[in-house]
Amino acid sequence: MTTVLSTLGNLRAVLVTGKGGVGKTTVTASIARMLAASGRRVLCGETAVDDQTTSPLGAALGVEGKVGEDPTPAGPNLDVVILQATRGHRAFLRDALKVNLLADAALRSAAIRRFLMAAPSFPEMGMLYRVLELVRLRLSDGSPRYHTVVLDLPATGHALALAQIPSSLLRILPGGPIVEAVKEGLGLIMDPAQTGSVVVTLPETLPVSEALELADGIRKHQLPLAAVVANRVPYDPFSAAEKASVLGHVKSAGPTLGVRSLERIERSRAALARLAEARGDVPMFVVHDSWAEGAALPAELAVSLAGGVP
Amino acid sequence: MTERPSDHLRLRTQPSFLEPLVANKRVVVCCGAGGVGKTTTSAALGLAGALAGRRVLVLTIDPARRLAEAMGIPETSRAPARIDPERLARAGADGAGELHAWMLNPAVVFEGMVRRLTTDEARVQQILDNRLYKHISGMVAGMQEYTAAEALYTLYESGAYDLIVLDTPPSRNALEFLEAPRKLSAFLDERIINVFLPKKGGILKAASGLIENVFTRIFGPGFYGELQGFLDAFSGMFGSMRAHSEAVRTLLTSEEATFVLVTSPEPSALVEANFFQAKIEALGVPFAGYVLNRSWAYTRGYASPELIEMGDAPSPELASGMAKLRQLAVEERRRADRDRKLLTGLKSRTASGHALATPHLGGAIEDLAGLVDLARNLVQTEELPPSSRPPPSVR
Repeated sequence: MTTVLSTLGNLRAVLVTGKGGVGKTTVTASIARMLAASGRRVLCGETAVDDQTTSPLGAALGVEGKVGEDPTPAGPNLDVVILQATRGHRAFLRDALKVNLLADAALRSAAIRRFLMAAPSFPEMGMLYRVLELVRLRLSDGSPRYHTVVLDLPATGHALALAQIPSSLLRILPGGPIVEAVKEGLGLIMDPAQTGSVVVTLPETLPVSEALELADGIRKHQLPLAAVVANRVPYDPFSAAEKASVLGHVKSAGPTLGVRSLERIERSRAALARLAEARGDVPMFVVHDSWAEGAALPAELAVSLAGGVP
Repeated sequence: MTERPSDHLRLRTQPSFLEPLVANKRVVVCCGAGGVGKTTTSAALGLAGALAGRRVLVLTIDPARRLAEAMGIPETSRAPARIDPERLARAGADGAGELHAWMLNPAVVFEGMVRRLTTDEARVQQILDNRLYKHISGMVAGMQEYTAAEALYTLYESGAYDLIVLDTPPSRNALEFLEAPRKLSAFLDERIINVFLPKKGGILKAASGLIENVFTRIFGPGFYGELQGFLDAFSGMFGSMRAHSEAVRTLLTSEEATFVLVTSPEPSALVEANFFQAKIEALGVPFAGYVLNRSWAYTRGYASPELIEMGDAPSPELASGMAKLRQLAVEERRRADRDRKLLTGLKSRTASGHALATPHLGGAIEDLAGLVDLARNLVQTEELPPSSRPPPSVR
């Protein structure tokens, strides 16, 4: 049986991606909770947005204190962090320049700092380097500080930004240590033994089309696609015969309460069938609709994700 | 025309807060999280403006392909395209003004800007041929937002449209172009750029020395020179670009413009909506109110399955099926209740007290007729009761 644990449990990095509004943050938090509950040391991360004051991921994990650019505890075996590109830039500059003093002087230069944040692909490069730095963290006994880093990647447009680093960055850069650093980061995120992408979608026509496009893009950029997660899937209590006779019967009553939900169930079934057909041998996991809110939702979903699909 | 659920919802309606906006404003900016139906709402607002007899342009970035097909406009185009009036008429919007749409292409806008601000053709080529330029127009963070503002302003100035509806990108940076072009200046600020340009002496020379040293060590030899070349060619444009950004800001903070926040009942979308409202208020741009999409708030006109007769001898499937439908109806009422409370909350959060829910039209809007339907519902809405009432009686 394929489970979320057997699919993602041995990876060093899990990249959760999907279009906006599909519940990526909830699914990220649920996966992280589930892996942590299974005994893995997990770091859950989200990418920083300018002047970010709140952490949606921290809220989803029920962290009451502030979530910052250094890992904060979010439960047993589980930490949460906001990934800052500048942290990656600093680590990278120190590694590349081999002289901390020069690296720090360089980062004190507004021109260099701004260049790194504004030039094509450099923010993503900083993010990638920061992930690399966190994955490399070790405990005093030599074991990894975090077995798995689960990342909530930004929606829309930039979902593939990490994967586009080689084509964009390497094209504009003649060479130097940065190319080596990028190659090392890519070595991590392109290795199916270490990294897997998870595409999250909703069981509706358009989101499934977008998820399939995203999955194609991920494959094209040679990022390993580990799983597809359908979120907010409604339960279907009806047999086919019940559906047919109910819809036939209420037709004469005009619009009827409950029928929109029934239609939603039907759209969901069709969308999931399409997804199942197109996903190939990539496992698909289903997360059901729930009335739970806030941190209770990922906690509930983590329990259901611990089950598996045949 | 086929009967749509919303036909039943238009029984007792009144003009919404959006009606005077689409009829009088020159610019309506829609913002909100991704996946809340922002592009669809923008298109419908544009259509509502056209239905009010105006010449309207809908400017959008990264739209759903389905919507482009529904509106009958090409996905890649170098200029706005008019929606065929015949198609509009067939979709039930006859007698409308003009509806134009453009899926913004940042590279095209940017190139247009370079050509507009640089008169010397050799200089234009020098910029366009530079390896860095080829990436900057499409990839620099904030550039997509800036090009949206640039396009908005150029098209506004052209005078070809009475109303422009701008569908912003679904990122938190979407309003960045309004913030004293901060991100843009991050890359294009002359004070910063000057450090990179060839220097004669003094403090700047020391700073450039450090930068050249670092850049050469990190990026390898050659890159620094190339960057200098690019910035040198580009630097003549900065003044005009900044002036332009200021003009856009002036327009968008004026009485001619208004901002509409689109959200869904999803908690994550509401968090983003909160963020945008705070941003809008901090920027001092006019905020009209909320559009709550994908809600279940409307139940008027819907029959209760409890009251539907099953006859004397219903089949076992019908009996058990109707029992399950009743359960779904219970959930729908619960959703309606939740969404009405939400709507009340949104209203109390805005100074204007304006928020409206769009009727649940079932799935995504996939054709022009669906958009026309939504457009009508945006400007004429039913005032919802604060919470659900007992099930309505049927016939």
